[in-house]
Amino acid sequence: MKQMLEQLRDKARRRGVQFMDVRLFETDRTSISVQDRRADKISQGRSTAAGVRVLNEGAWGFASSEVTDAASLDRCLEAALGMAAASRVKLGEPGVVCAVQPVVDTVRAVVERPPQALSLQEKMQRVLAYEQAGIGCAGGKLCNTMVGYNDAWTRETVCNTAGTFVEQEVIRTSLGTAMTAADGDVRQMAHEHFSELAGVELLDRITPAEFTEKAARRAVALLTARRAPSGKFPIVVHPSIAGLLVHEALGHNAEADLVFSGESIIAGKLGTQIASPHVTIIDDATMPKLNGSYRYDSEGTPGAKRTIIEQGVLKGYMHSLETAARFGVAPNGSGRAMDAHCLPVVRMSNTYFTPGKLTFEELLKDIDLGIYMEGGHWGYVFCERGQYTCHAGEGWMIRKGQLAEHLRDVSFSGMTLETLLNIDAVSNELKFLLPGMCGKAGQGMHINAGGPHVRVKEVVVGGQE
Amino acid sequence: MSELLELAKQACREALKHGAELVDVQTSAERSISINVEKNGIHDAKENDSASVSVRSIIKGATGFSNSSGFDLNGVLETARRSAAAAKLAQPDPDFVTLPAPASWQEVPGLYDTGVANLSAADLIRLFAAEIDAAREVCPDVMVQGGSQLSISEQALVNSLGIEVARRSTNVGIWVFCIVRRGDNVGSFYDFDCARIKSDFAPKGIGVKACREAVAFLDSRKTKSATLPVILGPLATRGLLWGICYSAGAENIQRKRSYLVGKRGQRIGSGLLTLRDDGLIPQGMASGAWDGEGAVRKRVTVVEEGVLANHLHGSYTANKAHEENTGHGNRWGGVGPTNVVPSLGRTTAAEIIADTPEGIYVNVGSLMPHPVTGDISATVDFGYKIENGKLAYPLKNTMLGTTVFDLLNNLDAISSDYREEPGMIMPTIRIQSVKIAGAE
Repeated sequence: MKQMLEQLRDKARRRGVQFMDVRLFETDRTSISVQDRRADKISQGRSTAAGVRVLNEGAWGFASSEVTDAASLDRCLEAALGMAAASRVKLGEPGVVCAVQPVVDTVRAVVERPPQALSLQEKMQRVLAYEQAGIGCAGGKLCNTMVGYNDAWTRETVCNTAGTFVEQEVIRTSLGTAMTAADGDVRQMAHEHFSELAGVELLDRITPAEFTEKAARRAVALLTARRAPSGKFPIVVHPSIAGLLVHEALGHNAEADLVFSGESIIAGKLGTQIASPHVTIIDDATMPKLNGSYRYDSEGTPGAKRTIIEQGVLKGYMHSLETAARFGVAPNGSGRAMDAHCLPVVRMSNTYFTPGKLTFEELLKDIDLGIYMEGGHWGYVFCERGQYTCHAGEGWMIRKGQLAEHLRDVSFSGMTLETLLNIDAVSNELKFLLPGMCGKAGQGMHINAGGPHVRVKEVVVGGQE
Repeated sequence: MSELLELAKQACREALKHGAELVDVQTSAERSISINVEKNGIHDAKENDSASVSVRSIIKGATGFSNSSGFDLNGVLETARRSAAAAKLAQPDPDFVTLPAPASWQEVPGLYDTGVANLSAADLIRLFAAEIDAAREVCPDVMVQGGSQLSISEQALVNSLGIEVARRSTNVGIWVFCIVRRGDNVGSFYDFDCARIKSDFAPKGIGVKACREAVAFLDSRKTKSATLPVILGPLATRGLLWGICYSAGAENIQRKRSYLVGKRGQRIGSGLLTLRDDGLIPQGMASGAWDGEGAVRKRVTVVEEGVLANHLHGSYTANKAHEENTGHGNRWGGVGPTNVVPSLGRTTAAEIIADTPEGIYVNVGSLMPHPVTGDISATVDFGYKIENGKLAYPLKNTMLGTTVFDLLNNLDAISSDYREEPGMIMPTIRIQSVKIAGAE
């Protein structure tokens, strides 16, 4: 395979393209679905595909196929050149890539226990045991229980005209649950999710208490929670929501492709104070085992630790080979593609607020009336206007510095630059609790996000009361 | 098509040979072309070819899936064997009865069009370029982003009870996102067009529309918290009504994770609301004569004059409930809506707005109720304050909160006019007394 990819690269060089890369993407996945006490669905999948990208006379073209022999790769190269030629009719800014330091490396997935260390039967029994533990602690209040297990081996091979040849294997294992409780017409659902660069040791490490039992207890507790109030409130957010906030409100705005395209609200603000001094934000692809980590991005650039904001001052953006050239900086390993059918685009990895010195209780104590939000679910942002939305799985009223009534799930919204300036305290712990997928440009990408507890002076809460 | 059917049949036989009691196999091939637009020009153009096979084997209701890429025969047969092996390991489901059996069906017209199939990247670029140029005539410093994509796909589905069906389909779409900046004052908006056939594809003008709206969204303001009527424009209405039909899916009902559990035959909202799911609309984006399992699609009235009338079924849920399969199933046991068509009212959208002294107009917002709880807590992504029956100013940082039943019961107007995309009818609706959370 190596020889075939290098031959294709050499053909591209002979065609005189500015840049070309070919990515081969191979996967082997297993999933087990348990619902209402039965592991009645087991799924396995394998796929192989290759994508060829060219930059020719300032225009990008791309073609991919699930046939990966030499003839098919040749067809992809020609098709990519054809796509680039078509693009030139209404080219925007001519495409560029920075000077690439060629990397030749092979990265093997290192996990404690590879997926095949447990049989499918054993995995199924472990997943059923998780479910049973959740059911057992819910006092008969659960009306639907779902637990899912996934493991995936992937190998992404990148070969480009700058001389890079990187072959990188990843093993990722995930566990997820959704527990629904009911009491009369009231119905509530709670989720928990784990995903790491790990093998089946994840099943040894994750206890039912922090997984299915936690979700089951929360679903039951939410049955008697009240609906959230509506209006402006000071909030304290749990690390899972801090992760959501840093990812949605700021992170996407720091992706250099959006900065270049004019979508980002922090374009042109490098070196300026855009957040309170309590705010330091890092994106780090090098953290061991975390869901968003990788040794190399999809362009063969080493993943890195990137400081986005330091004590409120905007320090840098996340870059691909193209955006690094546009901004005249070194690439920092943020060009990621979901699979061989997708072009690499600038993506986050593990994004977080760094911790401060206060305790959680100290964050609460100055709030007379506010809301504490926990259980980061989902969020989104309109970067160009800097308006974000985050959804919390549950909350509590804060009254006179103490947690008070339990609240159901609710969304809150704010303006990115106002919120960053309104962060007036962060606590002293650091947790990554958002191991999930982020969507951008039609691609889902593995990420994680986190932080300490974070206090914001004011956001808008979209409650029903 | 015959190759896809033949491969599917071979995989089906292989899975049966290796112990599966029931099998279905889907083979799919797709070619797509797409362009990506950045800063008023093409950033990239791409072409994707994909080919995949997916085998479902069932033994006493235990299901084993396997899928793989490519059509190499050895790989396809291996996929079938893996599927049968997985079904042997999975646990039986006594609620499973059987797969759909063959039935007569009529193809939905207009799902495949050579006019779309013959479009090229150059055609998509030419169409998009015209929208960029038109938008820049409205506002010379507008930044236009977006993209366009067409796909041509073939799909065959075979099951061990004798279903052998195949279809070709095309679709094409374009989406334009306009950004207008005046320093830190930013306005933005998007528009789109989509179609199955070329004569339905009419993107001309969406660049101008999106650009004009983007300009209108400059100077957006915060508003005060209040309880006000909310008017949902066509795009916001669509998400809400689709979400209600999703929660009427029998899988969600039978698994007791829908706010509509136990509500069939009961009033769930205003008598103005009638919702039909129609997967047989010619040229409809979500149309098809058969569902993901090969069962024949049927039109279903989900809500009739405010009463939850019917559930949507796939084969698993229909057999479990001893009801008719409506043809809304997929091969994973799930159920989902197709084209959601609401009945229309007697006043126009403009009249509804004019009849609202104070309120909120939502162009775009994620108003889909929580599928389990029915609670709604959403941001007005793009919307206006209504004052004296007119759109007064664009909003920012505004949210609304309600519940699906409060919302449906407080629905007091559905417009007679609507936005239409193939298979989609999107009117304007008004809901009284919604909690608005503002940042002012």
